[in-house]
Amino acid sequence: MSLVPQVLRSLKNLPPFPMVAQRALLLLNKPEVSIQELVEVVKFDPAVTANILRISNSAYFGLRREIHSLHQALLLLGTQELLKIIIASGATRLFSAPTPGYFTERQGLWRHSVSCALMVDLLSREISLPDQATGFTAGLMHDIGKVVLSLFVEQKFHEIMEVVEKEGVPFQAAEKIILGVDHAEMGGEMARMWDFPDRLRLAITYHHLDKPEAYTDDLTLLVYLGDILTMMFGQDLGADGLAYTGYPEVLRHFHLREKNLQKILLQFGSAWDEAQVFFGLMGNQDGVQCANRG
Amino acid sequence: MQIVVGVADMKISSQPQQLVVTHALGSCIGVAVYDPKVRVGGILHYMLPESSLDEEKGRQNPFMFADTGIPQLFRECYKLGAVKHRMVVKVAGGSQVLGGPEHFNIGRRNYAALRKIFLKNNVLIDNEDVGGVKARTMYLEIATGRVWVKIIGQNQVIKDL
Repeated sequence: MSLVPQVLRSLKNLPPFPMVAQRALLLLNKPEVSIQELVEVVKFDPAVTANILRISNSAYFGLRREIHSLHQALLLLGTQELLKIIIASGATRLFSAPTPGYFTERQGLWRHSVSCALMVDLLSREISLPDQATGFTAGLMHDIGKVVLSLFVEQKFHEIMEVVEKEGVPFQAAEKIILGVDHAEMGGEMARMWDFPDRLRLAITYHHLDKPEAYTDDLTLLVYLGDILTMMFGQDLGADGLAYTGYPEVLRHFHLREKNLQKILLQFGSAWDEAQVFFGLMGNQDGVQCANRG
Repeated sequence: MQIVVGVADMKISSQPQQLVVTHALGSCIGVAVYDPKVRVGGILHYMLPESSLDEEKGRQNPFMFADTGIPQLFRECYKLGAVKHRMVVKVAGGSQVLGGPEHFNIGRRNYAALRKIFLKNNVLIDNEDVGGVKARTMYLEIATGRVWVKIIGQNQVIKDL
């Protein structure tokens, strides 16, 4: 029996996308963003402003000077970095519910999402693409569908896993077979309801590259690779493990060899340690415990 | 008491009340060694096969690589009284994504590197749970030397190694 009607009904209770992050998303499309525009976006949200200062002063950026104001942060970090921070701190709330269908740990999905965002940044650097907030954001949001689908995956986990094991299909394909919808499609649907920019919505929808449309935008391919590398790195892996398909043609497309992947994983080790401040954005006991892990 | 081994990390213990654990092995490998006579053991969690990739990093943190981490793991145990021929060796991790082995096979390479080092040094693997698409967490109980693996998600399946 298909659960699709039930799944779609659950979308009716979808919380709105956080306002600050929403406004920051709109700026992703603009070639030039002025400092004034960014200040306008965040100035009414003291929690986000506090997070900006916290992240700006963390090991992640390794600045020598302590940053005391939003303006200073903007000047020292630049608009793209600031957009990443604003979107990450704004979106945190959406990830605050546990997703037991995928992660045993309450913050598992958030940690995986931040990891993927960082991985996309490292990949962009490795293949000399400009380090844009769009890649980071797409990495951060790629699995947002899991927030809603978790409940259904939890109910049917064993059936889904059985399909993965018996038929050797990737996890999202098994979700589709058992639930009638997979987490990537689900995320795409949510992105539509939230009016995400098209490129971002498509990167979410196609991040497992299981439809030909996936190949129309490098952003989608980057998120796919970032996701795969994050799984290989291992920490914060979910119940779906590494049950996704590796497509060597994507590596060829970006002229990446296995040595490059190894190098990226190596860099990611330090990036992951330095990014503990992002993991801690949820700011509860769970987060403190996790932060000690690295 | 739990002692957590991070990614590219190693922990050794001779305290019987301690449980050494490493979370979420993907393509990384966890190596657990234990000398039952002196009750000394530890886990190494390395990420990549060979330090030739970045020798500087290998010096800074030998636990990143198989070829620098594994010798260190044994040496640190010897310091606490362990003896090579008594040591029990168990291995977990080295998972891979689906599809052809081409390009995404760091998991398999990690395992191959370990086998090569063990063959050269006459070390036998007593038990292992490697490969596949699973995410594993590995435990070593210092009091008993018991090693087990939890497969993440699969209803907390516990496999004794």
